[in-house]
Amino acid sequence: MSFKILIVDDEPALQNMVGEILVRAGYEIQGALSCAQALERFRTAAPEAVLLDVMLPDGDGFSLFGQLRQIRDVPVLFLSARDEDEARLRGLGLGADDYITKPFLPQELLLRLKAVLRRVYREEPSTAKLGDAEIDWGKSTVRRGDGETALTAKEFSLLRKLWEARGNIVTVDALCSALWDGPLVGYENTLMVHIRRLREKIEADPSHPNYLLTVRGLGYRLSREGTK
Amino acid sequence: MSLRSIFKGAMLVTASAALIAVITIAGILALAFYYSDGGRSWSVSVTRVSDALTYDGTGYDFSGDELLGDDRWAILIGEDGQVIWSLRKPTDVPEQYTLTDVASFTRWYLNDYPVQCRIREDGLLVVGSPKGSIWKHDISTESRLLHDAPLWCGGIFLLALGCVLLLAYFAVRRWFRQAQHVRDSARSNWINGVSHDIRTPLSVVMGYAAQLEEAPDLSPEHKGQAAAIRVQSQVIRELVNDLNLTMRLDFEMQPLRKESLQPEAFLRQVAADFLNGGMAEGFDFEMDLPEEPLPRLEADPFLLRRAVNNLLINAVKHNRPGGSIRLGAETEGNMLVFRVEGGTGAGSSRPGRPEALGPDGGAAHGTGLKLVAQIAAAHGGRADFYGGTPYRCRLCLPVSGASVTSRRSPRS
Repeated sequence: MSFKILIVDDEPALQNMVGEILVRAGYEIQGALSCAQALERFRTAAPEAVLLDVMLPDGDGFSLFGQLRQIRDVPVLFLSARDEDEARLRGLGLGADDYITKPFLPQELLLRLKAVLRRVYREEPSTAKLGDAEIDWGKSTVRRGDGETALTAKEFSLLRKLWEARGNIVTVDALCSALWDGPLVGYENTLMVHIRRLREKIEADPSHPNYLLTVRGLGYRLSREGTK
Repeated sequence: MSLRSIFKGAMLVTASAALIAVITIAGILALAFYYSDGGRSWSVSVTRVSDALTYDGTGYDFSGDELLGDDRWAILIGEDGQVIWSLRKPTDVPEQYTLTDVASFTRWYLNDYPVQCRIREDGLLVVGSPKGSIWKHDISTESRLLHDAPLWCGGIFLLALGCVLLLAYFAVRRWFRQAQHVRDSARSNWINGVSHDIRTPLSVVMGYAAQLEEAPDLSPEHKGQAAAIRVQSQVIRELVNDLNLTMRLDFEMQPLRKESLQPEAFLRQVAADFLNGGMAEGFDFEMDLPEEPLPRLEADPFLLRRAVNNLLINAVKHNRPGGSIRLGAETEGNMLVFRVEGGTGAGSSRPGRPEALGPDGGAAHGTGLKLVAQIAAAHGGRADFYGGTPYRCRLCLPVSGASVTSRRSPRS
């Protein structure tokens, strides 16, 4: 499914840049430079999510957020140049799904938008490619060549967590939290065992992994190269 | 506010208070003197009343009715205590007096009538006023006290002066704070405004640079240039964030939101975010954590993340184009020490003794290390910066005794 995103920002250059990033990532976009325009586009285009600037020429984003929510309950991410705690807490306190402070990296924006959309719409890609291995998220299996191997629940959670942040390091603590809902203490060796078993299922040569990489002292990283 | 302004303000308040005190005291004294003066208005009239009362050998003649007005009366008491002359004497005023009666009313009241007396050759002249019209008061004090008057007057004066100076101090302090608040607000609004205006264009620069880095049709050289633009934009972003945070800490506008942190997990996450941000490309990164778990730390994770991040950025900045960075932690007594070392030989060798820099990391290092020192101080700790090779800094933060003890207990 291609999500339609409404970008509300009074700076055309920023709107263009964000628009290009989103289009390249497969989203449809609608732009608005003011509160009035945003309300009109929100009603006519029915976007699935809104990226909302806080300071707009004819009003503030916080008020506009309330108006949008009265019309329809869609996820809203604030994109703001205000980095004070008060502004961030106010935005999130109103019920916004995220608050991103400018300036931001495109990858950061995409990851956070994707996380919100996944949480709200429960849209999950059914498969993923890791080199010559194909992961079926629905069946929780890995297919390599002619063979198909089932992933255990822990391996599935582990792979999912790494996939969601692919290209980035995920610390051992974050992985343990995802797997056992607790701190690392006591789980280091168990985590290593799960990683080794997962490598055996997704890597051609588990001793020299190409995708599931160890970042010594920190955690693991799923390479973005060769993943789709 | 300068010392001179404070002094001028204090002088102004002191002078005003002294003037008010002098006018008030002088006024009260003048009023008291004018209206009492031992009954000056009475004594004048009672003398004149006495003069107006004459004896011609057969009887008394009084020619001073106007002196008594409408409501006063007068009697003359003879040596035997008997009233021998009277004018408008009220009926409740007796005709006969004993020595005790005389001793009493000459000082106070005669049957509640305020009276004034004058001794004459033929007796005691008593002039009375209506009941309740005059308040009489008798003052007596020890002579020694009067001799010491300069001393206690001086004491009271010093006490008053102290009160005035205290008042002046509070008033001046209030003025000073108000003036400082106005100045701080203006400065903070200006910095907020500038940083706000920088953020949006910087987003565009960073966004396009990051896209160019990944453009498939761009040469490696151009991709490298795009990466440089992106990295430098991130440096500016950090600078803007540092500037804002420094200002907030300076003006005590940043509240500490402390949480209990597990140092190892915290440092790993900060390091992962730092590396994920792509600012340490070309550097080898190494974590150096002890085998035994470190004590938990009560700290504001946002501020502490900022401090460690700044140390890492600084390590990269001072060791370009590449090398190694080591992030470690250890306990020293009741302090938890975060270490950042950078340089080609970081961790493997330490040529020479590093030179300790000032508490803000030296002026040449900009706001980044000043902010680290501020954050450490806000947590009751300190930051040590060292020049030379390898680049080295330490962030020392206090941990509670209980945390250190629990760390030493065997794991269950």
